[in-house]
Amino acid sequence: MSKRTIIPFGPQHPVLPEPVHLDLVIEDEKVVEAIPSIGFIHRGLEKLVEKKEYTEMVYVIERICGICSFGHGWGCVSAIEGAMDIEVPARADYLRTIWHELSRVHSHLLWLGLLADGFGFESLFNHTWRVREAVLDIFEETTGGRVIFSVCKVGGVRKDIDNATLKGISEKLDEIRKETAELTDVFIEDTSVKNRLCGVGYLSKEDATDLCTVGPMARASGIVQDIRLTGNGVYDDLGFEPCIETAGDCWARCKVRIDEIYASIDLIQRAIEKIPDSEIAVPVKGNFHGEFALRMEQPRGEAFYYAKGFDEPTKYMERMRVRTPTNMNIPAMVKTLQGCDLADVPMNILTIDPCISCTER
Amino acid sequence: MSVFKIGKVVMGSLFKKPATLMYPVVPREWQERTRGHIDINEPDCILCGMCMRKCPTNAITVDRDAHTWVIQRMKCIQCGCCTDNCPKKCLTMAQTYTAPSVTKVIDTFEIPQKEKAAGGGAADGKLQNNQDECIYCGICAKNCPQEAIEVNRDEKSWKLDEDKCVKCGLCTEKCPKKCLEIK
Repeated sequence: MSKRTIIPFGPQHPVLPEPVHLDLVIEDEKVVEAIPSIGFIHRGLEKLVEKKEYTEMVYVIERICGICSFGHGWGCVSAIEGAMDIEVPARADYLRTIWHELSRVHSHLLWLGLLADGFGFESLFNHTWRVREAVLDIFEETTGGRVIFSVCKVGGVRKDIDNATLKGISEKLDEIRKETAELTDVFIEDTSVKNRLCGVGYLSKEDATDLCTVGPMARASGIVQDIRLTGNGVYDDLGFEPCIETAGDCWARCKVRIDEIYASIDLIQRAIEKIPDSEIAVPVKGNFHGEFALRMEQPRGEAFYYAKGFDEPTKYMERMRVRTPTNMNIPAMVKTLQGCDLADVPMNILTIDPCISCTER
Repeated sequence: MSVFKIGKVVMGSLFKKPATLMYPVVPREWQERTRGHIDINEPDCILCGMCMRKCPTNAITVDRDAHTWVIQRMKCIQCGCCTDNCPKKCLTMAQTYTAPSVTKVIDTFEIPQKEKAAGGGAADGKLQNNQDECIYCGICAKNCPQEAIEVNRDEKSWKLDEDKCVKCGLCTEKCPKKCLEIK
């Protein structure tokens, strides 16, 4: 009988972009059990609602995450707008959708690079991030920031993008699509990549449902679940279709994210064609009051936002709650780690696209 | 990856323009909207403290007694909240990033003391309320960055603490009845 050993994995590890610790119980080369622990980068951002005015809180909430920051800002302002019954102009909704989908493109390209780095394909990693750089340039041109945009505000957006720039973005996206296609062919078809991903970290549809998996992780196991289908933003007008795979392994998760890059580029180009000319923000008057909760589809999956005001309207919120997608996907990650080879642990962790900063806030 | 694909990538890498910049030999080109750092035009600043109140990270300190405007560069997140809320628009977002540093950089700006002009401009005048038109709504008091105004609706009273008032003009802008004036 082989001897059991516990191997500590993280919080500092070459494949981990962010700190999570796992105690891997190993028997020979097989993982028998994985015990996760988080709590290395808790920043207490939700507690700050007590000190920051609700209009300033948006900039704090945006900094929950450095990759899907715009989505968090949008989720926060949507919760506030819902509670205060604020109607956002149509152009602001379209601009928010464009920035959010661009964030998804940059997030998935970043993840593809990290995945390539994780399975030891350094040049593929470099080329993926080269393509991502073009998306960051679009962000800097339109918002002034490369990663954190600070353009979302209660009542609309702070900056407009003129129609000529939008057309230029559409043309740049054609180029990005072409360059991405050359790289994603490698992820989908290359033998060495498939050897590392196919059949690894299988998660059945039943397990994915039982473990409340969200986002690309759930969609790779055949669950048709995407908050964009529920009419958030202007996705209804843009004819959104979710990207689904049924294999449930690491390759399927990679394929779903690759398909989502193209789907997001299509959505942005359709949004650019349809964007109406109108105001970009409405004035917001008065103190915060009310209560509202909503869900949003972040690049990593479903996120939940809840805002509640005091009984008497004040500048401050009583509670702001954010539940992030990685939080929901950690049980599924632990499940996929059970019984896998030690060498496949990095792939299993990376394919949930862990964002521990979001999880801990 | 097929040999042809590798060959295409290699040839592309050899002959295309490099994806990276030869920094610092080639300087970075800033976009028009790049949020680099906060700049202040000292003569226009009235030390109202609005930027300090609105800053989400408490990076700005305004000291009216010492006549200084202080920003902690490492705390500032370049959100632009202060530039949006500055009543005199003396704060601007500059395009260049601040230089990297191993210490927490604190920049202190001396704000020149305003001399009373002979003609008496708006900034040198006094806030006055036409109490015949005032409805004592209290919006001026709510928006005053210095909490210099006190309004009591029941007693129909409007009081100004002249020592606290910085004549930023926010109350005159927000007043629904336009009964406030700096003169």
